[in-house]
Amino acid sequence: MGKSFDLSLVLDFIPELLRYLHITLIVLGGSIVLGLVGGVLLAVPRLYRIPVLSQLATLYVSFMRGTPILIKLFLVYYGLPELLKPIGIDLSRTDPLLFVIVTYALSDAASFAEIFRGAVRSVDKGQTEAAYAAGMTTFQSFRRIVVPQALIVAFPNMANTLIGSLKDTSLAFSIGVMDMVGRGQTLISATSHALEVYISLSVVYYVIVIVLEKGFAFAERRLQRHERKRVVHKPAIRAKRLKEVVQKVRF
Amino acid sequence: MSIDLQFIYTSFFQILKALPLTLVITIVPLIAGFGIGLATALIRIYRVRWIHRIADFYVSFLRGTPMLMHLFLIYYGIPMIIDKLSERYGWAFQSSSIPILVFVLIAFSLTAGAYMSEIIRSGILAVDIGQMEAAHAVGMSTFQALRRIIIPQAIGAVLPNLCSMFVGFLHGSTLAFTVSQMDILGKADVVASVSLKFLEAFIAAAFIYWGLTIIAERITALLERRVAVYSKGGVS
Repeated sequence: MGKSFDLSLVLDFIPELLRYLHITLIVLGGSIVLGLVGGVLLAVPRLYRIPVLSQLATLYVSFMRGTPILIKLFLVYYGLPELLKPIGIDLSRTDPLLFVIVTYALSDAASFAEIFRGAVRSVDKGQTEAAYAAGMTTFQSFRRIVVPQALIVAFPNMANTLIGSLKDTSLAFSIGVMDMVGRGQTLISATSHALEVYISLSVVYYVIVIVLEKGFAFAERRLQRHERKRVVHKPAIRAKRLKEVVQKVRF
Repeated sequence: MSIDLQFIYTSFFQILKALPLTLVITIVPLIAGFGIGLATALIRIYRVRWIHRIADFYVSFLRGTPMLMHLFLIYYGIPMIIDKLSERYGWAFQSSSIPILVFVLIAFSLTAGAYMSEIIRSGILAVDIGQMEAAHAVGMSTFQALRRIIIPQAIGAVLPNLCSMFVGFLHGSTLAFTVSQMDILGKADVVASVSLKFLEAFIAAAFIYWGLTIIAERITALLERRVAVYSKGGVS
């Protein structure tokens, strides 16, 4: 703080912060891709009720959803080097970026696992039975019949997770990552205009979120273009849809 | 790998002492946010002239920016406004005499308000319009109908969402750590710095949050079953 408030500085800070946007996007992209893979690996044992693996997956998902992202960030930051030391991997000089990507990937995997599980469950069992009747194998019916339908259900939730994850990246600075917020911190040390920096950061995040939301809404309409022919106007279904609108709160 | 299991155990109880503050930072914003959210939701549903645009922007902006930003904007913004006013009107009041906790609570309440608004709005819209018409038909005013008929049903409908808000804000309360509040995470950091056993202290803190989350989820399940008693549908 200290110096007087100058709103025009916001315009100077925005381009300066945008130069670090790619770090934020690398964290987001890396963690989402790894999280998707992890999510599938976690969801399958629970869907097919594979003993032991299914219980382990449940425990993992419960822990990941039961602890704050900041704690998970610290656990990975302090824990991963300890974990890898015995097998001869030294992480003491690693870019903290790696820890952030690993944390968000582990965390997103749990969210995606729940989303996939719910989505697959939402596909009518008769669809699988029909596929079997037509002579498909379990794998074929899953891939060709269930997954395409489940993806349409999962898409809005996945989009929400991605946006939540983007907002979570604002915490990466706490372990010393030079992303937009990290750069903001150095700008504050240099200029002592904290409020202006945070206004700039908020504007940048807000614009990215709006762009993503618009993009996802468009993609969702395209995905559902074959679905809309079915008439669903029963109040119960409408209420169910509305419930889905409000997702788990993420910051 | 060398993890001091004994230290996880001892630090667990040291860190647990910070639980009250964490609960304050979680629950106060949720209660304040419920009021803000209800007002905002009604303004947006009834499209109150001019204000509904502000309400729309409030909800969209707060939902579109990280909670950390809200905290910092309030933490740096409000003292500046207070000091400007104080300077201008010659008050003896200084922003430095306000505890940081107040800024944390204001920031999180505003965040909660925006998320609550969406939850309550979806709940109110989920109640069949016929309910409002029936209430009008028996002579209730819109306000009476909202208070007696619509909102109780809406809250029943969004109970799972309200409980997931609790968990969300429990986890969000860790951000108070960044403005040096002694919540569970802040305490864990202190315990860790003293003993230099960072991993153990954060594991202990993680277990506390995990436990609280599981308790919250159990209570949600119980409440949901109770609410479902009244909405079985049909005539009997």
